[in-house]
Amino acid sequence: MADLPEWARLSDQEVVLLARAGREAAYRELIRRYERPIFALVFRMVRDRELAEDLSQETFIKALNAIGSYRPEFKFSSWIFKIANNAAIDHLRRRELDTLSLDGSPHAETPEAMQATALQIGARQESPLEAVEARELGGAIEVAIAQLRPEYRSCILLRHVEGRAYEEIAEILDLPLGTVKTYIHRARNELRQLLAHLKEE
Amino acid sequence: MTPVPGSHLTPDDLDAWLAGALAPAAQEHLAYCPACQERAETEREIVTLLGTLPLLGPAPGFADRVMARVEVPETAAVHPLHSFRRHIFASRRTAALAAGVLVLLIGSMAGSVAWTLVHQETLAAVGHWLALQAGQAAWLGVRGVASNVIEQPWFAALKDLAAHPGRLVLAMTLAMLAYLGGILALRRLLALPTQQVAHASV
Repeated sequence: MADLPEWARLSDQEVVLLARAGREAAYRELIRRYERPIFALVFRMVRDRELAEDLSQETFIKALNAIGSYRPEFKFSSWIFKIANNAAIDHLRRRELDTLSLDGSPHAETPEAMQATALQIGARQESPLEAVEARELGGAIEVAIAQLRPEYRSCILLRHVEGRAYEEIAEILDLPLGTVKTYIHRARNELRQLLAHLKEE
Repeated sequence: MTPVPGSHLTPDDLDAWLAGALAPAAQEHLAYCPACQERAETEREIVTLLGTLPLLGPAPGFADRVMARVEVPETAAVHPLHSFRRHIFASRRTAALAAGVLVLLIGSMAGSVAWTLVHQETLAAVGHWLALQAGQAAWLGVRGVASNVIEQPWFAALKDLAAHPGRLVLAMTLAMLAYLGGILALRRLLALPTQQVAHASV
């Protein structure tokens, strides 16, 4: 802790170079800088604390074990957000496949389990309990965000919660700049409608 | 009823308005258009709400859990020595080979030191002859270069320049400026781009 001010003066790129030179403290500094934003993004994407914790952990493990392949001329934040977003989207896609399967989850081993998962068609909406938790967490806006498409959710969270520039979001999500702008505008429109609807409720 | 000037705000205009950088024409429209005012206010409300979302963080001990599964490379200075040592002492055969090489090295070094001590006069004579040859070769080189320079067509102009100190100073200043210009151009060419972008995922 004694050398904290020293770390604070260093840019991400400089910390990465120290990590590559084998300084464990540099790895910890990168985790300290990004654990909250990465966890917050992943949590708001998957809506499950335990899962968000696992996916965030995987994100950091993947990024830090591959720190040798990171190129310091690029932004470290974009790199790690990209890995986190891909992890969250991959999980959501897998979950969607499982829930939309008429025959039940491919991972289900018993007929009961298959039936249970097969019955989950259309269960992408949050359960009443989850909705209550979301309300407690941040009010109607959290509930509204949870109902957005994952692509819109990533865009709106990176833009208005993490404060990333449009260009950086385009890089993180591998999307053209115009598409990112469109997604953000549509997401705000949907949020507007969802919030009006939630207020009426 | 007063007609509203300009067209309704586009999504880009709304972004600009949120950033406090709306174009004057659009600003004028906004001042008169209740629909756009309502839309802009709602956008601001949503953006404010998003900005006030609670900061979330993982459970305590997150960094330790991550670090338990991260392989920190050994420092560059220590790493080769460690792996070298491990390699040498991997088997009896490699250890014997390394010992043999070491004995050979030390033996040859000791032999050369002993020979030097016994044949000091021979060494001094060889050294003297080498120094003489080197001096002659250097002198020949200087003479060759000088005669070559004198024969060059620009030598007369250079001699003339050296005869007039004012011109010499001017020429040196110009050369220095050209050199500085070259350095600045090179620095700009070699500078890293300031706009940083993300790159490939792992």
